[in-house]
Amino acid sequence: MQDICAQYRGAGTKKRLILLGLAVVLFGVALAAISQGASSVGFFDSFHAFFKASGIAHDIVWELRLPRIVMAILVGCGLGLAGSVFQAILKNPLASPYTLGMASSAGFGAVLAIIFGGGWCGHYLIAGSAFFFALLASLLILGIARYKSATPETMILAGIAIMFLFSALSSFLQYMGTVNEVHEIVFWFFGSLSKVGWREIGIAAVMILVPVPVLLKWSWDFNLLTAGDESATALGVNVIKIRMGGVIFASLITAAAICFTGVIGFIGLVAPHIARMVIGGDHWFLIPGSALIGAILVLTADTLGRTCWAPQIIPLGIVTAFIGVPFFFYLLMKKKREYW
Amino acid sequence: MNSNHGGRLFSTGIVVFAISIGALLFGRDTPAEATRSLSTIAETIRIEDSKGVSVAVRLPVRRLVVLTSDALEIVRALGAVDFVVGVYSDIEKNPLFWPTLKDRPKVGSWKAINYERVVELHPDAVLCYAQRPGREMEKKLEPFGIQVIRLDFFRIERLAKEIETLGRILEREKRAGALSAWYRRHLHHQRDMLKTITACPRVYIEGDSNYHTAGPGSGGNDMCLLAGGCNLAAKLSIPYPEVSPEWVVTGDPDVIVKITTRSICDSCYSMTERTPLKNISDRLMARPAWRHIGAVKKGRVHVIANEIWTGPRAIIGTSYLVKWFYPELSTEFDPEALHREYLESFQGIRHQGIYVYPE
Repeated sequence: MQDICAQYRGAGTKKRLILLGLAVVLFGVALAAISQGASSVGFFDSFHAFFKASGIAHDIVWELRLPRIVMAILVGCGLGLAGSVFQAILKNPLASPYTLGMASSAGFGAVLAIIFGGGWCGHYLIAGSAFFFALLASLLILGIARYKSATPETMILAGIAIMFLFSALSSFLQYMGTVNEVHEIVFWFFGSLSKVGWREIGIAAVMILVPVPVLLKWSWDFNLLTAGDESATALGVNVIKIRMGGVIFASLITAAAICFTGVIGFIGLVAPHIARMVIGGDHWFLIPGSALIGAILVLTADTLGRTCWAPQIIPLGIVTAFIGVPFFFYLLMKKKREYW
Repeated sequence: MNSNHGGRLFSTGIVVFAISIGALLFGRDTPAEATRSLSTIAETIRIEDSKGVSVAVRLPVRRLVVLTSDALEIVRALGAVDFVVGVYSDIEKNPLFWPTLKDRPKVGSWKAINYERVVELHPDAVLCYAQRPGREMEKKLEPFGIQVIRLDFFRIERLAKEIETLGRILEREKRAGALSAWYRRHLHHQRDMLKTITACPRVYIEGDSNYHTAGPGSGGNDMCLLAGGCNLAAKLSIPYPEVSPEWVVTGDPDVIVKITTRSICDSCYSMTERTPLKNISDRLMARPAWRHIGAVKKGRVHVIANEIWTGPRAIIGTSYLVKWFYPELSTEFDPEALHREYLESFQGIRHQGIYVYPE
């Protein structure tokens, strides 16, 4: 018995060290990101400018690079942890913030604001509309789940139906749009961190980080849910409450993550899988692990996207797939045992 | 030899006559079709479309479906409004600009054309962009004897030639000549003015979407070059890239031009106040780190409406650009007067609306 406890504690220590390692990697990527850009502000200039009070280099670092980096970390964290929660509560390795139609509904919200925004729809109107519709999708799923039953199958099928519905609605609106509106819509669906500033970061940070303690508190319940509803119920888990609560919080995080940046696909699906491969399936470690891996992926993708073809920017959504898919395949081929 | 040649001509005449009579008697049932069959033999011209493809066009073209606002503007300038039997559906978004055409039958757009509606209207030809809709349109409309004429009217350097081509097709050569001469005259005037210039201002052009600029091959780049500006993005790799904000800041443009399709009304033609365009300019100048840019420091941040950017009114857009790039030449240019002349003399509508900020 003591051996088992010692083993568990040992495993926990190892996982904490892995999390610490991921945090160090993220910090390293952030340092690389802050020192790279399309201007002549290079490695040493950027660190010098970081501590300077004013000047063009200071403004480039503090007003252009740093907001991008912080938002990339926030968005990556949000998508990663939302993905891990969705995969737990739906017991499905393919579950992600997009499986439940959140991306397509947020996209529809953005399209609606771009086309019918009276011509003067600002950045906040698009973001607000995307946020509202992302949450609306989750409310629809919750409504269907309450009416029928909150089984993973019901939720996933409802999510897929909602995804197709909002995709069709977006396509219909694009069909009505002008060339310039369609151009803007296409780029919203690519995802971009170009439009974010400190104010957007403040709003997104509150909505992404506030639910985290609750999700961590439920981490043991998520562990039990993956064993099946009956087992979880027998062990005292209120399955419906945890599943509904998980959907609400994960949806809130997803909506906050994508409303300012547009659709950034793949991260919510792949970050939890990578985390599971390196840290295991215990959600106490998996949730922060997914968040850190999501942040590393998004920040790396954005830094590559804005520097490797500078001054042209490769849209973030495209780069995440370019770097994420091969990396994911590599891990998948190297993995010797089943991890799901 | 001569008698042989004469005999061959006589035989050919007989054959042509017989085919014409046959077509009239046994051809498809509408008189228009019969007339068209006659035209096939009697009146066919060859034109070069906007892709540089040589195309045979049967005349007369008296019933026309127009899928683009650029083409429709030229049709109206040529005094051929009566030929228009069908228009693109988005025309309803700009009713003031199209008072007599807005109620014509709608046939969809270059994105998705309603072929049944087009066929119902019995047009002689459909006028559309060189690239859109795709070449499947010719295949679909050919069985009905409907021709496809692909003329863009949005590249300023090709505009005069395309106007003359449409003038030939619609048999409005005189008006087409007057309009193309007007374009050429003002283009030459701009070029002559710029001959004296030795240094060009660095210009950052931005489309509707933030940090989406006009690279090589884009209409915006052509406009900038024509107006004597040095486009910051001229040496990039793609026509419409998103660029890094810090590249714009350190590029330190002398002039910033923002193109907008945004208006509080249906179009800039309906606008009566400058506030919406001023708001765009204010938001640009307040962007992070933009206070370091020379153009922002000197207040040379200009907003221009898409209506006068590329397209038939690009010459008005370039006039504004010259005025902004070279303030010392501003006495030589009066873009507003040019716009007034174009709308009132060629389009036959009142000059109104707000198109730029600041002037």
